[in-house]
Amino acid sequence: MDIDVKNLHPLEVRLLRHVSAGEDITPERIIRDLDYKVGQSNQAFSWLSAKGLVEEKSRSHRISYELTDFGRTEQLEGLPAERIFAFITENGPHTLPEIAEALSLEKSDVGSAFGLLSSKGSAKMNDEKKAEPVSSELPEDVKLQRALLNKASGTGSIDETELSETEKKAIAALAKKRGAQNSAFRIVERDEIIYNLTPEGEKAKKALLEANITGEEFGILTPEMIQTGSWKNGTFRPYGINAPTSRLIPGRRNAYSSYLQWVKDKLIALGFEEFDGPLVENEFWNGDALFMPQFHSARDIHDVYYVKDPVHCKKIDEPWLSQVAATHENGWNTGSRGWGYTFDHEFTRRQVLRSQGTVLSAHQLTKAHIPGKYFGVVRCFRYDQVDATHGADFYQTEGIVLGEDVNLRNLLGLLKMFAEEIAGAEEVKYVPGYFPFTEPSIEVHIKHPVLGWFELGGSGIFRPEVTKALGIDVPVLAWGLGIDRMALMHLGLNDLRELFTPDIESVRTRRGN
Amino acid sequence: MPKIEAPEKIFFSLLGKKMTDDELIDIFPVAKAELDGHDVEGHVLKIELNDTNRPDLWSPAGVARALKCYESSEIPQYDFFSTKDDEKPSDGRCVIDDESAIGIRDYSIGFAAKDCKVDNDMLINLIQSQEKLCFNFGRKRKTIAMGIYRSDLIKYPVHYAAVDPDTTKFVPLGMTEELSLREILMKHPKGRDYGYIVSSFPRFPYLYDDNGDTLSFPPVINSARIGAVEVGDSDLFIELSGPILDDLLLAASILACDMSDMGFEILPVKVKFAKDTPYGREITVPYYFQKDVHASTELISKKLGLELSAEDSVRALERMGVKAWKDGDGVTIHVPEYRNDFLHAVDIAEDVMIGHGLQNFEPVMPSDFTIGRLSPVEEFSRKVKEILVGLGFQEMMYNYLGSKKEYIDNMHVSGDNAVFIANPMSENYEVIRPSVLPCLLESESVSGHAVYPHNIFEIGKITVRDDSDNSGTVTKDSLGFFASDAKIGYNEAASYINTLMYFLRKEYTLQEVKDDPRFIPGRAAEIVVDGKVAGIFGETHPQVLESWGCSMPSIMAEIDLGTLI
Repeated sequence: MDIDVKNLHPLEVRLLRHVSAGEDITPERIIRDLDYKVGQSNQAFSWLSAKGLVEEKSRSHRISYELTDFGRTEQLEGLPAERIFAFITENGPHTLPEIAEALSLEKSDVGSAFGLLSSKGSAKMNDEKKAEPVSSELPEDVKLQRALLNKASGTGSIDETELSETEKKAIAALAKKRGAQNSAFRIVERDEIIYNLTPEGEKAKKALLEANITGEEFGILTPEMIQTGSWKNGTFRPYGINAPTSRLIPGRRNAYSSYLQWVKDKLIALGFEEFDGPLVENEFWNGDALFMPQFHSARDIHDVYYVKDPVHCKKIDEPWLSQVAATHENGWNTGSRGWGYTFDHEFTRRQVLRSQGTVLSAHQLTKAHIPGKYFGVVRCFRYDQVDATHGADFYQTEGIVLGEDVNLRNLLGLLKMFAEEIAGAEEVKYVPGYFPFTEPSIEVHIKHPVLGWFELGGSGIFRPEVTKALGIDVPVLAWGLGIDRMALMHLGLNDLRELFTPDIESVRTRRGN
Repeated sequence: MPKIEAPEKIFFSLLGKKMTDDELIDIFPVAKAELDGHDVEGHVLKIELNDTNRPDLWSPAGVARALKCYESSEIPQYDFFSTKDDEKPSDGRCVIDDESAIGIRDYSIGFAAKDCKVDNDMLINLIQSQEKLCFNFGRKRKTIAMGIYRSDLIKYPVHYAAVDPDTTKFVPLGMTEELSLREILMKHPKGRDYGYIVSSFPRFPYLYDDNGDTLSFPPVINSARIGAVEVGDSDLFIELSGPILDDLLLAASILACDMSDMGFEILPVKVKFAKDTPYGREITVPYYFQKDVHASTELISKKLGLELSAEDSVRALERMGVKAWKDGDGVTIHVPEYRNDFLHAVDIAEDVMIGHGLQNFEPVMPSDFTIGRLSPVEEFSRKVKEILVGLGFQEMMYNYLGSKKEYIDNMHVSGDNAVFIANPMSENYEVIRPSVLPCLLESESVSGHAVYPHNIFEIGKITVRDDSDNSGTVTKDSLGFFASDAKIGYNEAASYINTLMYFLRKEYTLQEVKDDPRFIPGRAAEIVVDGKVAGIFGETHPQVLESWGCSMPSIMAEIDLGTLI
């Protein structure tokens, strides 16, 4: 492994410079010699080990007993057994409650300490139920405990290796691993590790010396350093450029919305003008104006959302109403024979949520210029179970092209342009399609570099029954693109519901391809 | 879109040859069909048909006919159709419609077939055709119901009348006991499915033969005897009932052609109507009722963008199975017996397009120059989005449909201004959002795991009641933003508003908000621009946060962009 010593942290640098090949390196030594804190020493060894600059020579499991605050107090003031024994020796027999009171000890502590004294023959309970000394000597156990406390009072801890077997047993009674605040000793277990410099470490040390990197270089450049010019008196520590970065949370556009914006910009570039409209429509514009017969199966209650109130709009504008109604009934002057039924003037005013983007294309016909190109990316509602491929509401991208001489071949040209410009298609295939409002109708299938063959959209030339009834005498190309699928691909998703997720974290981290 | 299953044996025998899946995929588009799947083990092709105006294609026979024609240009000939002037012999077979059915289910018509043993595949096939025609084309039997019967058990004439539902009884198919028509509605599964079509009438449609034996209770169920067609039968009677005569005649024609293609001899049946029809009081079914349609060469060429002579069009139409001839300035067609979709000359143009081969039309770009332009709302929205993103806000996008609980109850508002759906699919999607704010709060409620602060916004549509509009509603382009953090309040909200309005070059004043339960009283303001209230902002009321299960203080704002553009 080749180490760039410029990337070493000052803690590593100073350690490396301090040690030599072949010698034992211990954290204790580094803490002492370099004035590191324990944490700094741990970090330095951990980083250097990971880089292979130092390696473990040996590791031994060490147990030591640290004197607690409680233990220190006992060392100074005496163990309960010592104090009770001294008290009854000096002041004669007393009941245990009296002793507890006099020595400010817990009754339970007095009880257990006296139990120890009496079981070892140093004291006894006399006939008056008072404790009195029997011998002038404390029990061996207590003496041993006293010796341990004294021994520890110097450095504050005793290493297990310093203890005899008897002492080990005695200290075990006074020590706890955790929750040691009421014990005299806390048991501390740790691994004692001795490190050696590796050959790589030697090289690194040499390189540090050659580069004259001391670990004392400047860290953060402060305003004071600039103002006083103190930065001129040293060098700057190089930072590890690959250090992990912290997470920033920027203000951001929604990735799906950005994609739709990109589609809109593409269409603008191709000469299309954007249209828009209200979400509440009526049967007239949602279906009748598109020459879908009122009895058409797609107009059942199970396909469209109806508005609860008001159920009907007030009126449908003329002359569109009369012209469309006549076209349905007998073709009016569109050259069609019509559907041959009696147009329902109440049904046509029934209000629905817009179920297809083509509705706005129909509206646009009544105010379109010739020649003209229009499009909309519009929200639609369809009566469907919500699942991975059906949303409660969704965007459709639709448009129209009006012109004196536009025809099928222009439509194919337009679709080819969409396929290449918007979908990045490699190949384009056209097949006959069916829509109630276009004739002829074409579906365009494309071969996408990632998705393979799929249906990009549907299109056609509006039927004269649609255009003439809405006052347009030129051919109108109508198209719709299924860009949701491309949007999902673009965003790396496979569930349409995800496009409108309320989850902030998910939206924050989402990005397009 | 109708989907059908075609047993390989029947389909390839009708087609006259076997084809691979790849070959089928290539040729299917001429019938606007797609190969939806191939059950290789069960030897069944699954086909999806895209043209909802071509019920003749919703059967294996129909698809096979279209493909065979396309490859051979041979137009199938059916000699069993009567016309007004040419009545085929019905040999005593007759259906008599009684005037009692008028207004209930006006017409019943029929034809018979013989000399082809019904095998299992064929029976399944017939039932499928019946279902597709009645369900998809006949609007779930409302406008077309069809029955297939054992012709050898029938004594003609067959009678169709509306009868007393309580005294008329017979044993329905699938049962063993005699039930009255009304009992069938409740006790028979088909009665429960389709009974609603007739249940509101005082008398129900009923079909019986001259011996008084029951054929069926249309549109609900056949009888268990005459109406139980089984494998091995070879003499059939097909009856269709409904309120629209042309649809019945077309469905009968389609089925007759399909059965003829499968090897039946079709036997005409005379039908006596109870009222005047465009074709008289008496016709013989199958009956050809279509009229010739004409399209000029100019219209076809102009529509398709390719100069095609009348001869070119005639050739293309022949591949589509449409007999056509040069006539005056263009071509005239004799509409095939099984089709009724030529409403306009453009319908001829489409058949010419498919027959000529779509691959033979070279794409050309439209040459008109037009100016591309964003809508004013989109253009303005982009400015607003740029400012909010700069202020550290994340743009969100939400569904526009939701529940009353979310949009209204959780917001502690009355909901008087909300537009509800009359036929919601579930209460999760029962109202159009009257505000962006509940959507933003929903985000907050599901995003406790996301690092704070949360700064989010959306520009989207909302819909509210507005009696002054023709629809009684108005759709607005609305900006909503929301921020939550351990320390946030009115001052931060006011600063955001101030910054936004500065960069939008909008002068505004603030006025106190009274009684808006969404905000903490005294910590909300209305934004007034040009004397009109453009929006509102303030500290979210803890009762709202509590309803949403949110525990972080927050501010929110909503502005009607329409008032600023």
